[in-house]
Amino acid sequence: MSTLVLDNGANFAKIGYSHEKVSVIPNGQFRSKTSRLKTFTASQLDEIKDPSGLFYILPFQKGYLVNWDVQRKVWDHLFGKDMFKVDFADTNIVITEPYFNFSSIQDTMNEILFEEYQFQSALRINAGSLSAHQYFHENNSELCCIVVDSSFSFTHIVPYCRGRKMKEGICRINVGGKLLTNHLKEIISYRQLHVMDETYVINQVKEDVCYVSQDFYKDMEIAQLKGEDNTVMRDYVLPDFSSIKKGFCKPREEMNFTGKYKTAEQILRLTNERFAVPEMLFHPSDIGIQEMGIPEALVNSINNMPEEMQPHFYKNIVLTGGNTLFPGFRDRVYTEVRALAPVEYQVSVVLPQNPICYPWEGGKLLAENPDFEEMVVTREDYEENGHYVCEEKFDI
Amino acid sequence: SCKFSCSSHSDDLSSSVRSQDPNQRRVLDSATRQRRLTRQLEALEKDNFQDDPHASLPQLVKRLPQFDESNESGKRRKKTRGDHFKQRFRKNFQTLLEEEDLSVSEGPNYLTACAEPSKFPQRHFCAVCGFPSNYTCVSCGARYCCVRCLGTHHETRCLKWTV
Repeated sequence: MSTLVLDNGANFAKIGYSHEKVSVIPNGQFRSKTSRLKTFTASQLDEIKDPSGLFYILPFQKGYLVNWDVQRKVWDHLFGKDMFKVDFADTNIVITEPYFNFSSIQDTMNEILFEEYQFQSALRINAGSLSAHQYFHENNSELCCIVVDSSFSFTHIVPYCRGRKMKEGICRINVGGKLLTNHLKEIISYRQLHVMDETYVINQVKEDVCYVSQDFYKDMEIAQLKGEDNTVMRDYVLPDFSSIKKGFCKPREEMNFTGKYKTAEQILRLTNERFAVPEMLFHPSDIGIQEMGIPEALVNSINNMPEEMQPHFYKNIVLTGGNTLFPGFRDRVYTEVRALAPVEYQVSVVLPQNPICYPWEGGKLLAENPDFEEMVVTREDYEENGHYVCEEKFDI
Repeated sequence: SCKFSCSSHSDDLSSSVRSQDPNQRRVLDSATRQRRLTRQLEALEKDNFQDDPHASLPQLVKRLPQFDESNESGKRRKKTRGDHFKQRFRKNFQTLLEEEDLSVSEGPNYLTACAEPSKFPQRHFCAVCGFPSNYTCVSCGARYCCVRCLGTHHETRCLKWTV
């Protein structure tokens, strides 16, 4: 009997057997202008030589799994002979779902797992709960923690006490990596070069050049300076997928501060975009989304918790999700929460070594837990009792 | 005027704002401005801005099965792969949310979990160059930082694509 851990995200599936390592695989299908007849599924994305104008077909909408046709095609590939070769009758699956997942989607998930794929047993759980499990294992004297999951679709802030999530404290900010990339595409398209169709390329630009500012208005001043004084400015060389396979930032010594470049490369000149884009995680109102940013929402969530728990939450803030990889993210969260928190409370913000795979690691740990057998719902259980048994056992 | 290297417009200032008769510029009301903002935010949720490359292919070609779509375990798939299930498996987010009927549920749910508005004042940035903005376009409400950016704004975006 083996256990497959699948953190089923809207952008990436983090998947692996609990006794092996994790793989990070795109959770979707793709079409390319150059390979016109083929649809690429999940890891087949690597086969595309020219991802310009790449067309995305994703099973998730606004962070929830709505398109089962696409999801099943991805899972067929992941569970099949090219990848994990799952022997369903002999496999448990630990699979993640978003907070407050709709009951209709949960029911469909049960049907797909038990009636279609016929896993021997399943445990459905929020990714943040797996992160909390991992955190409490690493910090076993702590009673409370608050998990920030800032990923592709949105950002959730969730307090946990003694392993249980505190539903009243859950806060969702509707800013995620997808929105950041789309906004970057828009401003580049308006200011420099039409890139609205280039999600793949601009997402790479975002990951390569963007950072979180520690002093927003100071960076804004520096970004407006001319010539070499503008230490924020970067020139990014776009890939052409023949001689330049991957985009990159020109080193400062090679930048041309006075005139135009003589070479044939396509170059983006980025100044305030570098830090104004991730800033949306801290001030969604910058773009017109009337919601709190991450530090304010953290403090707000903690303030809604029982008073005796509050200092414990401030001491155990955990950052997960792809957006936390922006340079400066952790320090900025710390500085802002420290400024808003009561002075007598200790504030500690932890960024794990791999924030994208942290929930998966928690899933692996859970699968090795002696109580694991009691947490799952078996296929026999489901066939006898239906959705009811899943509603009772799983806390989504 | 723009002190530093606001590079998003040309050096030609002949399309000066002052030459336009203020009585002739249309002014959008706040409802229209709100609709515009909502549309911009919805556009940021899109997965793609271009069309599906397969959309223009003839139907016959699209029916060709991919090599890896072989029906190895055809038996167990009959339950959930019929046409009836297809409708249920393709509902969009808005439909699923409405079906959840959260207005009658008690306790925290998807809607109540949404973050509240910030207590901090909103910051404003020039719609053209992205630097901090002190001024608002009279016609459409877009922010700008200097006369040159306003000129660019009038030429390119102001009052275009208005619902």
